[in-house]
Amino acid sequence: MEMDPLEVFEVEMPGEDYGAEKYREIIMDILQDLGLIMSIGRLYVYVDIKTPYFAVFGMIRGKQPPLKVEDVGDLVEAEGGYQITVEDEEHMANLIRVLWETYGRENVEQPDRNVLVVLSDESPKDLVVADLETEFKRDLMDALIRIAPEGFRNRRSEMGKDSFFFFAAEETIKPEMVAEAKEKFGGMKDA
Amino acid sequence: MLDPVMFTGGVYKHDLVTELIEDLGGYLLQKNVTQSEIILLMLVPHEDMPVLEALTKELRGKLERAPLAGTEIAVVTPTLAIHHLPHPACDVAEYIRRHGAKSNMIGMGRGVAREIAQMDEYETALINEHDAVVFIFGNFVDCILKKEHLYRNLTIPVIVTGGPEMEKEDFPYAFEYVQNVGRIAHRSRKATEIGSLDNIVAAAGRALDSVRASISKDPLTTTPPRVMEVVREQVPDIMHSYSPLPIALNLNGLRIKLPYEEYHEAVAGVKFDEGVTLGEIAKVMPSKMKNYILVRILPMSETGFVV
Repeated sequence: MEMDPLEVFEVEMPGEDYGAEKYREIIMDILQDLGLIMSIGRLYVYVDIKTPYFAVFGMIRGKQPPLKVEDVGDLVEAEGGYQITVEDEEHMANLIRVLWETYGRENVEQPDRNVLVVLSDESPKDLVVADLETEFKRDLMDALIRIAPEGFRNRRSEMGKDSFFFFAAEETIKPEMVAEAKEKFGGMKDA
Repeated sequence: MLDPVMFTGGVYKHDLVTELIEDLGGYLLQKNVTQSEIILLMLVPHEDMPVLEALTKELRGKLERAPLAGTEIAVVTPTLAIHHLPHPACDVAEYIRRHGAKSNMIGMGRGVAREIAQMDEYETALINEHDAVVFIFGNFVDCILKKEHLYRNLTIPVIVTGGPEMEKEDFPYAFEYVQNVGRIAHRSRKATEIGSLDNIVAAAGRALDSVRASISKDPLTTTPPRVMEVVREQVPDIMHSYSPLPIALNLNGLRIKLPYEEYHEAVAGVKFDEGVTLGEIAKVMPSKMKNYILVRILPMSETGFVV
């Protein structure tokens, strides 16, 4: 499904208008800090402070394909192997690890800070350097835990393919509470 | 009367300022050197201010009033986790510090949530050693009201801060409530946010004034800065304390940052010019903060004289 970044962002907290407005800011700040805004299409937050519980439902924008060697650097065939020139060093550590695992340490050389040479006939073109999907989900979980009020230590999360549901409460989580939150999200989505 | 002021300037020739303060009969409370800059926190006799102002001008320094100087204020957050720190707790603590107070940040062990929040005896006693306390609460009306029991047993003035607009009547156990602070995830930089910090400092000022007023009804036998001077002279080991502020002043005493077991006799034995020792006019006891020494000066009604 095609979505704009945060095209829908709703926060509902019955009886706590100020809290709702402030939590909007907090969520924006935290998502911005962790660089997640572009990856989330729709976000619904529902808080019942009397019970109390804190619930978030969100839709993820598009799927991120795994990052391959050819995506992180320029790959050229060189004498006796392949040479990779990396511009963005963000994935350098991962790249070296993957090359070491595949070709062995003795067959990977680093003549310069951003240049790697692989001594092999096999092209490393299709090797997976980083699984962005997993990284994104880890960051997302981190963000949700940061967003939820700290006292809400009992948490449950459901990570789907293109959506996620997060629930945090102070007391033991009861199925009725989760069902109630999900029902509220149903209403918010239809509205 | 002594005026609390803060001098900011270069390290070069700053000893002229400290010498002048000594000559005028004022007190140097704190000296902070940050590379080539220096910040001096002082109490200066009101009528001698023009002399200090002239010297400050000559040294190209800056002299500001520091209304909270000589006091210690606790800034309490429900925990020390990322949810409550660094914003806004550090902003509040830093802002209070800039106005001259010594601010201590305290994260409660079990201060989180609505139903399970609690504070133990040790935390209560530790906070009670300060002159005033600022509690940083969140954005929900219901939670702020529910957390009242955390500060109900404190004997010092409590300033509660939170997000929503609430009435003074909602806080029978607090000295004042400052709104528009609450939980935020960014630094306080907007004019409204800085304004709220100003409100906290103003509230702290009023709280300290109320403590001063109640002390003035039964004055202390001597003033805390005077005790500080005498301890500095007669317990020279205090100069080797690694704390940035080896002697912290309170309105009704002071905290001396030396191990209690080794030094409490030396501290109790320091002698004033009038012939009395500190042990006779003050209680010297172990502080709840590390193993420091806490001094509480007795009021005139107990000793029968003023030195």
